[in-house]
Amino acid sequence: MNVFVTKGEGRGNLVFRALLKGLMEKDVVKVALVCAEDPTGNSFVHVLTGDTSVVESSWPVPPVMPVQGARVVSKITRKGPVELPTAVVLRPCELRAMRELVKLNQVKLDGLLTISFDCPGVYPLQQYLSGDRSFMKASIDEAFGHFDLSGTRPLCQICHRFTGELADVEVGFLGAPDEGHYLIGHTRRGEEALKALGYQEEVDLERRVDAVQEVIKQRIEAREGYFKGEFGPKVVGVEALLTTLHVCINCHNCMRVCPICFCRECFFDSDALKVLPGNYLVRAERKGALRFLPDTLLFHLGRMNHMSTSCVSCGTCEDACPNDVPVSRLFAMVADKTQAIFDYEPGQDLDRPIPFIDYQDEELHDYEEPYIESTTHRPSSS
Amino acid sequence: MKVEEERMKNERETEGVFEPKIVGFLCYWCSYTAADLAGVSRMKYPPNLRVMRVMCSSRVDPVFIIKALLDGADGVLVAGCHPGDCHYQKGNYYARRKIALTKRLLESLGLEPERVRLSWIAASEGPRFAEVAKEFTERIRQLGPNPAKGALFL
Repeated sequence: MNVFVTKGEGRGNLVFRALLKGLMEKDVVKVALVCAEDPTGNSFVHVLTGDTSVVESSWPVPPVMPVQGARVVSKITRKGPVELPTAVVLRPCELRAMRELVKLNQVKLDGLLTISFDCPGVYPLQQYLSGDRSFMKASIDEAFGHFDLSGTRPLCQICHRFTGELADVEVGFLGAPDEGHYLIGHTRRGEEALKALGYQEEVDLERRVDAVQEVIKQRIEAREGYFKGEFGPKVVGVEALLTTLHVCINCHNCMRVCPICFCRECFFDSDALKVLPGNYLVRAERKGALRFLPDTLLFHLGRMNHMSTSCVSCGTCEDACPNDVPVSRLFAMVADKTQAIFDYEPGQDLDRPIPFIDYQDEELHDYEEPYIESTTHRPSSS
Repeated sequence: MKVEEERMKNERETEGVFEPKIVGFLCYWCSYTAADLAGVSRMKYPPNLRVMRVMCSSRVDPVFIIKALLDGADGVLVAGCHPGDCHYQKGNYYARRKIALTKRLLESLGLEPERVRLSWIAASEGPRFAEVAKEFTERIRQLGPNPAKGALFL
């Protein structure tokens, strides 16, 4: 079900406040999980509320992403589904991460009405905290439908999965005439919600589909160009990789804020990597000297192995890095490649298991190496 | 014979000739038995392979491979039962996915994926095991020492 809503009092956050308030007043949902401005005015937090007056003053689409929304939903529903129907506004990357967590048994979808939208991106948290906050708040609201916001997270600028098509209700700004917006119900739950709000008239989405495709095309080009041209050479090869990661202080913040890294104990914090002093000495002797804290590269490469197939390229890890390691770009670049071998897109299809617990009898033969009769060198098949 | 080869290898090393160090993760049910068979059949294969027995090729977390490569190994061999023959029905299928991912990851960061090898060696294939060990050692010898193992600030 697709409906068109003309421009009311404004764009951006006003649209979402009105939508949430309507859903609560019509009893479609009882509770909303939404971002609100911190009382100090410095940042934004998620709040769970059944109070429409809180929703009225909320910021459903804040200019920053201090906590990845998928983590918040997981916190609430890990032990069981919500007891009251709950509306939750998520950015597309948060939504994809949440759907990955559904597959990993960390989120229960029942009772949730997910709302997503054409995301203009978010500003890096540090930049927001130390910059002109009122300007950034205003420019997020202005940016809807234009897609020309600058200064956002590096990954936001090359994000090609920026629409909310995986949500129950998608709010679409791209291609909508006269600064209005579309409301698109993608699931039965979403359609029922729109009907309850009194919308009936179906509209044609052709204009929107074209506009979205156009931006997707540009973004994919920009993404490939960035990883191949500008960013790739900075991280490809042992030397380059070490130069990029040398400021890493092994704090593991990137792992702690990652929506996909749900493990209660990370392998890299576990006893598996805690060894006796003699072991360090042997390693130091072998290399000439051993860097401490050790295993920095192992941590990053290992984590890539464990979670890159589910990485949604949200960029939260880079926000959390105290030393400006371009960790989200590094992971996204690798994730694009590792997801491609399984033809897997995280968060897209709920029925498709994550690659590690799935297989096909006939696949990936390029990575197997049978021996050949002669002993001559056989070039790698990868 | 083994002792003699080891002695020669040590001599070559002291002469400054590169001798690859290769870590081999062999599945208990197939490839390790094949290695055993190669041994009792007195087949010749290079002594560069350090064997670790695992209960299944899927037990090899990619982190083990990366740890080996960062900490002194020049190559890593993972060997298990042929697809369809896994003692645990599907372990080797999972292993194949994990190794494919590791190799792709190393490739995308320019870290020489050819230092990792996945091969299927059944319990009866002693000659095949010897051949794989020979082939892989030869390849690593040509690749030269792993640049990561000497990097001081890793």
